[in-house]
Amino acid sequence: MPEISNLSMLTVIIFVLIPVSLSYLYSLGIAKTTIWSSLRGIIQLILIGYVLTFLFEITDWIAVTLAVLVMISAASWQAGQRGKGIKNAFLVTFTVLAIIEGLVLILWIGFNIIPFESQQVIPMSGMVIGNSMVASALALERLKNDFSVHKGKVLAALSLGATPPKAANIIIRNTIKAAMIPSIDGLKTIGLVQLPGMMTGLIIGGASPIEAIRYQIVISLSIFASVSLTSMFVSAIAYRSFFNKDMQLVEIKEND
Amino acid sequence: MKGNEVILEGKNVGTERVHNMDFTVLKGQIVTIIGPSGSGKSTLINLLNRINDPLEGEILFHGKNVKEYPVPELRKKIGMVFQTANLFTGTVEENLKYGPEIWGEWTPELGKELLRFVQLPEEFLSKDVEDISGGQQQRVSFARTLANDPEVLLMDEATSALDNRTEELVEEELLQLVKEKKITILMITHDLEQARRLGDQTFFIADGRILEQGKTEDLFESPATEELKFFLEVE
Ligand SMILES: Nc1ncnc2c1ncn2[C@@H]1O[C@H](COP(=O)(O)OP(=O)(O)OP(=O)(O)O)[C@@H](O)[C@H]1O
Ligand SMILES: [Mg+2]
Repeated sequence: MPEISNLSMLTVIIFVLIPVSLSYLYSLGIAKTTIWSSLRGIIQLILIGYVLTFLFEITDWIAVTLAVLVMISAASWQAGQRGKGIKNAFLVTFTVLAIIEGLVLILWIGFNIIPFESQQVIPMSGMVIGNSMVASALALERLKNDFSVHKGKVLAALSLGATPPKAANIIIRNTIKAAMIPSIDGLKTIGLVQLPGMMTGLIIGGASPIEAIRYQIVISLSIFASVSLTSMFVSAIAYRSFFNKDMQLVEIKEND
Repeated sequence: MKGNEVILEGKNVGTERVHNMDFTVLKGQIVTIIGPSGSGKSTLINLLNRINDPLEGEILFHGKNVKEYPVPELRKKIGMVFQTANLFTGTVEENLKYGPEIWGEWTPELGKELLRFVQLPEEFLSKDVEDISGGQQQRVSFARTLANDPEVLLMDEATSALDNRTEELVEEELLQLVKEKKITILMITHDLEQARRLGDQTFFIADGRILEQGKTEDLFESPATEELKFFLEVE
């Protein structure tokens, strides 16, 4: 595996400076966040490098448990931010992600698809959790948006005597669909538009393309299933916070 | 006066936006609700089918606090039509059966009957709601509420988006409902002519209070408050 020198690392930063300067030019007001995000990303990655080195050295199940818990917490926090205003957005995402990750692990390990080793389970779990986090955030955001755009329809349904689950159904169907579209599109163009990250990594690392593809199939399908389930579970739980016990719509206050 | 059984009653009803509202609605009557924009008309009628609840006072339906009814049952009995059709994605029939299916009361016959009532052709049952005109959508919305066979009909500017002909048609249907089914109607309208034409009773609401209520004729002929006098003049 070829080493990347510190100098070449620095040159990559020039790439980041191009959009940053352009955004100044167009006064998009996002230059600061871009710089901050890049810096944050770099620091996070360096730290993760050390953390992973440590994790790969200790007992597998302890390492996996630790890593998965941290990843799910961070992911839930991030998704919860998007779902601000929805009651227990963090808790909902946390629970759903934990269940999904549990299912995925049972599948991977139980059917001997991948061995229970930190080096395999942690990065692959990371991908599943990361994608599910995006799906959860999308579902929460979409739910808020749809409940406000289609408030009239929900009120009409309630006025006809529908219970909250029935009334919410009008909206949830669309929410789930919208949250799944990116991953369906991703699945369709996989390998065509972009070589998926994991495959890229494996090939750079020296694995044969066929071997890399086998992993990629496992991870792509796992991600697709997780993302779909996340959208469904999150919507199916989170819609409740738009209603009170008297079957009334409650105002969701967004202050972000 | 058509009968005198009290069907709805408000006692010192208040929310953040409306205050000390006392009112009585008799069964089989049409109550027209008038008043300036933002005065609290919608706020009031949304309390009747518990879209919202008052912070103070109580609302009685057949002498019993609305909170004592199971919510879906109350909303079946007190139906609501909105200013916009708010139809659900799908066919006209799917919309019409939404309510009745909750109660296991749907029959295809009912669908046809409802469409006849709002003077739309039977073939409309299978039409996608996207494929019919705005006025037709509003009539489907009206039929969808009637499908629940409500005792009370709440209408929040429900005819304001209709063209004159369709509005006339809906008005005829309302009068027919009152006559045949003894249905009670509370309708908010900005059209004072309409309020006068249809109302047995009228509520005049301003600034979150019911300033006047009584026989429609009396309110229009001899308004008691300066506010109503002014309102009738400028509108
Ligand atoms: N969702 C809401 N959030 C905040 N204020 C509201 C909301 N709905 C109504 N209001 C306020 O409550 C008051 C009463 O509103 P309401 O909708 O009952 O008036 P209205 O008489 O129906 O008016 P209009 O004729 O314009 O429909 C108004 O001052 C309005 O600004
Ligand atoms: Mg109103």
